[in-house]
Formats: sequence, C-alpha cells, structure tokens
Amino acid sequence: MIDLKDVSKMYDNGSAALDHVSLHINKGEFVFVVGASGAGKSTLIKLLSHEELPSSGSVVVNDTEVNKLSKSRVPYLRRKMGIVFQDFRLLPNKTAEENVAFAMEVIETPRRVIKERVRTVLDLVGLAGKADALPQNLSGGEQQRVAIARAIVNRPLLLIADEPTGNLDPETSRDIMDTFKKINHMGTTVLMVTHDKQMVDMMNKRVIEIVDGKVVRDEQKGAYGDEN
Amino acid sequence: MKIRTMRYFISESLQSFWRNSFMSIASIATVALSLFILGIFMTMVANLDYFVDNLESQVQISVYLKDDLTTDQVMSVGKRLKELPDVKEIQFTNKDQAMDALKERMKDQPGILAALGGKNPLPSSYEITFTNPEAVKKTAAIVANYPEVESSHYGQAIVEQLFKITTIIRWGGIALIIFLTLATLFIISNTIRLTVFARRKEIGIMKYVGATNWFIRWPFLLEGLLLGFIGGLIADFALFQFYEFVTVAIHESLAFLPLVSIYPFMYQTGGILLVISMIIGAIGSTISLKRYMKV
Repeated sequence: MIDLKDVSKMYDNGSAALDHVSLHINKGEFVFVVGASGAGKSTLIKLLSHEELPSSGSVVVNDTEVNKLSKSRVPYLRRKMGIVFQDFRLLPNKTAEENVAFAMEVIETPRRVIKERVRTVLDLVGLAGKADALPQNLSGGEQQRVAIARAIVNRPLLLIADEPTGNLDPETSRDIMDTFKKINHMGTTVLMVTHDKQMVDMMNKRVIEIVDGKVVRDEQKGAYGDEN
Repeated sequence: MKIRTMRYFISESLQSFWRNSFMSIASIATVALSLFILGIFMTMVANLDYFVDNLESQVQISVYLKDDLTTDQVMSVGKRLKELPDVKEIQFTNKDQAMDALKERMKDQPGILAALGGKNPLPSSYEITFTNPEAVKKTAAIVANYPEVESSHYGQAIVEQLFKITTIIRWGGIALIIFLTLATLFIISNTIRLTVFARRKEIGIMKYVGATNWFIRWPFLLEGLLLGFIGGLIADFALFQFYEFVTVAIHESLAFLPLVSIYPFMYQTGGILLVISMIIGAIGSTISLKRYMKV
C-alpha cells in the first residue's frame, strides 16, 4: 500500500524534515505515526499526497510512484486517498450532506450515485439524523465525523488522518477512534498522525515513532512510548 | 465536457456571484470605471487623430506662376505637378479668379482695392493638396526650381511644428492606452483575488479530494468573464452617453472642431472594450487562482 525507500526531505531553508526514511505499510493495516512537533510527521503526509516532493528516495502509494507523477495525474492519485485534518476543514455554508456530496461532485460522480452513497456514509459515521445541519450547529465531534464521511465517500484505499482528535475531548476522541476502527475493518488502510498518547495506548496497533526526521521505532501492537 | 458538469460550473459561478454580491458589485464597479476611463482616452485619442488628419489634409502648397506664361506653359506646369509623388489634387486659379476672391474678401474695405487703381497684381497659381502630408516640404523645394514658377509657399514653420505635435500625441495616446489596459488588468485581477481568497478553503478541499485543476478553474473563469461582461456593458453605456453629450456640446460651442461621428466609431470602440473587459476578467481570475492551486 505504502512504500518509502530511503526518503529524505530538505526544505529550502536547509532544515531536514525527513532523513533517510524507509518504511512499508501493508493493505488493511492501521498505523499510528507519533513524535514531537516538528519531527517530520506532517511532511510524511504531504509526501504521500504529493503536496511536497521528496529531495531524494522514492514514495510509492497504491503502486503509483508519487514522486514521479506528472502534475495532471495528481488528482487521480488523491481520489484513491481520503484525508482528515485536525481542524475539520468543512465548508461553513454547506450542510453536512452537502459537504460530503461536494467531494463526489468535484470528481464528476453521477447525481444518483451521490445521493445514495452520501446517505450510506453519513449513516456509517453515525450522523444520519444530522444530514441537514450546518457545521456551526454541530459539535466538534460531529464536525469531525462529517469530515471523515467526506474522506471515505469516494471509497479510498487509504485514509490519512492528521491529528484527527487534536481538537476534541477524550470521550469524543474515543468515539472518533471507534469510527476509524470500523472503517479499517471494512478494508481501508488507515495512517494516523497523532499526539494522543491515551488513544495510541488504548488501540494497541502498529506504532511508528519519528524523532528529528528519523524512524526510531516501528513496532506491532505498540504503545505511544515512554518519553513524557 | 459533460452537460451536467457544465451546468455545475454555471450554477457555481452564479451562486458565488450572488453569495459574494457585495464583492461582485465592487468588482463590476471597478471594471466599469476603469474601462470607462480607458474608453474616454480611446475616444480622445481617436478624435485627436482625426483632428490631426484633418489638419494635415488641409496642408497645401500654393505655387505662384510668373506673369508672362503662355497657356501651354501653364498647362505643362499643371501636368508636371500632377505627376509628382503623393500629390492628391491640383487646382488652378487664374489672375482674374484670384482678383475676384480678393474683392470678395475685401468688400468691407473698398479703400484698399481702390489703391490698386484698377490693376491686377495677383499671379495665377496652383494649389496642391497631398495624400501624404509629409511630402509637402520636399515637393515645395522641387516646384520652386521650375523655371515657370515665381515662388511656392506653405506654412513652413507651422507645418513642421504641427508634425512634431501630432507625432507626440499619437505615441503618447498609444502609450496611455497600453498603460491603462495594464492598470485595468491589475485592478481586476486584484478584485477577483478577493473572491478567490474568500473561497481558498473550498479550493483547498477540492484539491485534496482530487478535483482536476480545470474543474476548479472553470467556475472562477466564468465568474471573471461575467464580471468583465457586465462591467464592460456598463462602461459602454456610460461611454455612449458621455460621447453623445460631448458631441452635442462641442457642436454647439466649437462647431469648427471635427469630431468622429458616433456610428460606426462608438460601436467599434464599445465592442473592443467589451472584448477587452471579458479577456481581462478571465485572465485576472486565472492569475488570482494560481497561488491557491499549489496545494
């Protein structure tokens, strides 16, 4: 699913965000990426979605070599991955249903398919009753569910989450994690960047720890780690 | 492109137009105002040009002939003049016609005519007009050397001064039009940048879920075209009113000033402005989008 070979990323100011990173993630895995702020976690996500290009090494997602992809093919790469952000990034003037439908409209899905699939996905994340609510009338947890629904509505093979519980209280976070678990059980690979020690320890999944741009730990059924 | 997609683009651009109605109106007002100013300069330059053409076409040489020529000699001078390059027309005036013209002009001051004592001191002459006024100076020199010619005259100093001024006016006008077009492009792309900025979040999300660049671009392009079109129409309307008003006012007070007539000139100018405004709207929106497409 994801294959990084000897990947380094230097930014223009000379700082190295990733330093000779190699890692492999199989289809259907649930993986946490942990580490302090500025360790290079966000850069990792940006390399997968072709928002940044590696300075050296190769990045393969879904059998596509991302670093060699032509610009015009990038949208098609992204249609096979869903991304969830810490700040939800919903459109404030669209309802929950419209926000999810938006992701299908912009890749030119037939309207009949949109209506049906949006309902199914909202149901899956537990928001069937709030389809017509605007984001401002939803709680933080509910907004994040809308964002998750939007990320999976195009049936991506890979779901990337960047601190998805960073703005949520512990109880809500647990509910959100359950949703991710459910999606993972349905076959979608999940890659989650997080600071949330409690969640990582509770979930008991594979943990990759990055410190100063290097992978220092990669263990199955891991915990967050002992530093703080 | 699928019809459904096209309908989506149109409804998106119209929606954004209404949703940001204040910004849309501001953009249209800016487009209309700058194009109106551009239009005023275009009509001014066109009229100056017309005025200058008019003046230039009036530049002519008077060729005064010696007094004792035979009819054949006079005809031969006329024939040679006609064959000179850039000569448009020659007109012959004989001594008696010249005298008649003088009498007509001087009829309020009979004393001057009486002083001539019945004699006619005026020479016969040819008036030469030109297709290319720049040829005046050269032609005057050539003609002055003809043995039959007493002298040739044109307003030397005035004509040269006039050419200097008209050259400046023409180039200055062109420079001004280019400058104003660029300024308008700048203003419009800045205004549309506001619309794009207000929707940067939407653009970011579209990029993340895999919308193609052209899919994102189209609604903004259409919006830019629409803003340009409406702004251009308003500018055209204002310019028509303005030009009509000015034409009437000038005809009343300065009737001797030649003006380009409204038809077809204003229709051409209006059409050009409308096309310019739509192109500028489309280019402006594309330029403004560029920054936010880089996700």
